[in-house]
Amino acid sequence: MKILYKDLLKFLKQEPSASEISESLYQLGHEHILSNEIFDMEFTPNRGDCLSAMGLARDLNIFFGYKDSLEIYEGKIERFNFDFENFSKEACPKISFLNIVIDEAPLKYKDYLDSYFINTGQKKNNFFADISNYLSYEMGQPSHCFDSTKITSNVTFEKKVCDEKFNTLLGTEINLTEENCVFSMNGKIISLGGILGGADTACSNTTKSAIVEFASFRPENILGKTVKYNINSEAAYKFERGVDIALQEKALRRFIQIVRDHSNVVSIEAQYNEYTLENKRELRLDVDKVNKILGTSISKDEFVEFLISLGFDINKNIEIPSFRNDIETDNDIAEEIARLIGYNKIQSKELQIRNKIKKEKKLDIDDIKEKFTEFGFSEVINLPFVTFKTKDSVVIDNPLDKNKKFLRTSLKESLVNNLLYNERRQNDSIKLFEFSDIYSKDNQITKKTKLAFIASGRVSHDYLNFSKKIDKKFLDKILSQIFVEVPTIEEISRNNLDTKISDKIFYVEVDLHKSQIKLPKKQKEYSRIDKFNTYKSVSEYPSSSRDFSFSISKSHVVNEIISYFDGLSQENLKKVFLFDFYKNEKTNEVKLGYRLVFQSFTKTLSDNEIREHVLKILKPVLRKEGVEIPGFESLL
Amino acid sequence: MSSFDDLGSPIIPQSKGSFHPINQIKEHLLGILSDFGFEEVSGPEIESEEFNFDMLNIKETHPARQMHDTFYVEEKSMLLRTHTSPVQIRSMTHSKPPFAFSSAGKVYRKDDDSTHLPMFHQIEGIYVDKDVNFANLKDLIHKIIYMIFDDSTRIRFRPSYFPFTEPSAEVDILSEDGKWLEILGCGIVNPKVLQNCKIDSEEFSGLAFGLGIERIAMLKFGVTDIREFYKSNLDFLNQFK
Repeated sequence: MKILYKDLLKFLKQEPSASEISESLYQLGHEHILSNEIFDMEFTPNRGDCLSAMGLARDLNIFFGYKDSLEIYEGKIERFNFDFENFSKEACPKISFLNIVIDEAPLKYKDYLDSYFINTGQKKNNFFADISNYLSYEMGQPSHCFDSTKITSNVTFEKKVCDEKFNTLLGTEINLTEENCVFSMNGKIISLGGILGGADTACSNTTKSAIVEFASFRPENILGKTVKYNINSEAAYKFERGVDIALQEKALRRFIQIVRDHSNVVSIEAQYNEYTLENKRELRLDVDKVNKILGTSISKDEFVEFLISLGFDINKNIEIPSFRNDIETDNDIAEEIARLIGYNKIQSKELQIRNKIKKEKKLDIDDIKEKFTEFGFSEVINLPFVTFKTKDSVVIDNPLDKNKKFLRTSLKESLVNNLLYNERRQNDSIKLFEFSDIYSKDNQITKKTKLAFIASGRVSHDYLNFSKKIDKKFLDKILSQIFVEVPTIEEISRNNLDTKISDKIFYVEVDLHKSQIKLPKKQKEYSRIDKFNTYKSVSEYPSSSRDFSFSISKSHVVNEIISYFDGLSQENLKKVFLFDFYKNEKTNEVKLGYRLVFQSFTKTLSDNEIREHVLKILKPVLRKEGVEIPGFESLL
Repeated sequence: MSSFDDLGSPIIPQSKGSFHPINQIKEHLLGILSDFGFEEVSGPEIESEEFNFDMLNIKETHPARQMHDTFYVEEKSMLLRTHTSPVQIRSMTHSKPPFAFSSAGKVYRKDDDSTHLPMFHQIEGIYVDKDVNFANLKDLIHKIIYMIFDDSTRIRFRPSYFPFTEPSAEVDILSEDGKWLEILGCGIVNPKVLQNCKIDSEEFSGLAFGLGIERIAMLKFGVTDIREFYKSNLDFLNQFK
């Protein structure tokens, strides 16, 4: 919500700068962005009382002094004989109506009203609706204006089950279902209470007589409706967070004043819905308790002073003001006191944690994971939402994506997708594992702890394993180190997969609670990270590789070349590795095979660009004595 | 002069795989909490409204309980936990103070945009004993943040709102470029929550805190896009060996 600096100043005795206010707002817990003397506020949901210039200024009282500077209409108001009945007082205990008639709507607004629209980005609609919006911003009381010439019969308010279409004053049509708080006339809904009015009875630029409704809808009746009907409503936002029920008459009189500031008022009538405030809400005055909660030692005088500054009345007890619906307990009072002292000014006190809970020896999952990583497997974490249902899938009632409305009962679909994703990124040695709880539904929902891995392609990129493909034997070796009984290794067919690669895919999934593990149970040890490496972002462009084979006839040159490539770093060179090493004892020659992988962050590299890079890399190598690259020319 | 006979085979470079960076940070943080005396507990990801909301004083009218924020399953009979707090609740109902629990794991919210994912990870701690107060909470949070970052980290406490703590605070740290970054939520356990767990709230009080693991991982590793963690891209994962 945007609140203008100059509007806050109207309610403050002192004249703090915008940045001084900003600092105090942070101390009080009101997050915001300040720019061009506009505070873009983000309030916590418990502070509905701050959703106006007046309300926010009131919270700043302790710093800058709050003054009630609103000019309101103090004159006589005739009784408005409006034929209205409230059938759902539990949903809205108090509703007042103002009937105001003017001779003509103004052509121009006064500065204070105009500035609100210019600076907050709110759109102007018509004179009465504009005042209603401004009033809500200024005082925090939403209201709704009907064109009184369109109110031709008696009006009722009721919370009821609806099944009908409703045309809003924004020109949209919504289908009302389930329970809603509605105003009706002749059996037809004319306004969605606390949210949005209807098109048929709305004011326009020519309206000269308006019936303005001021109400106090209970939050639970408004909650969730704007999302359900996809409506943006400032009024609903306020009612969801609580609007001060004691505000109505003052807001009504302020409305009249603003109208009078702009045009000639012909008549004013009002109908106040009878309502007496509930019993005063009180809390015991207990400064010791608050000091105990906070670990502070504030005096009773300070305590009382803080509370008075927030609008609390202090007698024997603490009387909670009507606008603070969020205050219920000593802990709430403690938070108020802490906010005013400043959280950062409360002195820390050393804490020694005592814990009676005994530690148990358990299987440390990390020991299993460690084994997998030793063999080159990397851990993934997947979201649990999947497309395909199995007979025991848990169904999500409200999925984000309708095509993914089941919780996975196996890790397979996720891991196959992970494999294909990496293959599409030219990765030819893929070894992944995931460890996750999964949930299934039989008669009830049960949890299983699963460990799964998937592997395909080369065993690894070093010269001993480059030409070897992952097979069952390789996997068997790993599994037999972990499990007493080696679990089944499944070969996944590529027939139904979107891929042209032909390497075999192997998959294993194990229910950890059903498998016997060879590793010992022990006290959990947490692995700590000693050094945090800064991550380099990953390119979204394809990579290209070039292989080169060197014949070397001088033995010292072999080591020189190996150190050269080990230390090689060049723009667009993603990776370089030795995939072949062969010593020919007869000819006294060594063969080194290197793969250079190129990838750019900004584009797909052309053959020409790669050629440039390769030449730059190979030049120093070729200059060495006794080094040949058979077929080098043709490779380029 | 060296000869071909002396020439050994080149060293095979290490080809270890990696633990997922989120799990690395999770372990790291649990380790820090363990040093302070917190004992790790765990619980289910599919929860009841009672444990995920009611017991934590999140009332029926709270916006978080709406269908647009929480994933419900099996005709609203259960839900995907929206935080790790129900784990603490389950442990508290079976324990007598003093106790200190930590819990970490996956949580779910109905969000999906460039800065939010429908699944992310949280870590939480709760300590209940006699006379635990807000000044103690500040001491512990400072120490934890110094352990995660370093002793010179500048820390700011701001009042905030969580239904399960009162007073509640959000904690920011000052980044190198002079911006305050929110990294942690904490507070004094709302006595209503203690009562819900059958703990005498006149005799005992507690402190609680929670952090988003992705947030810490992004800061520590310099990852700028949260979605990177869940693409399962080996080029990404292999940087965290």
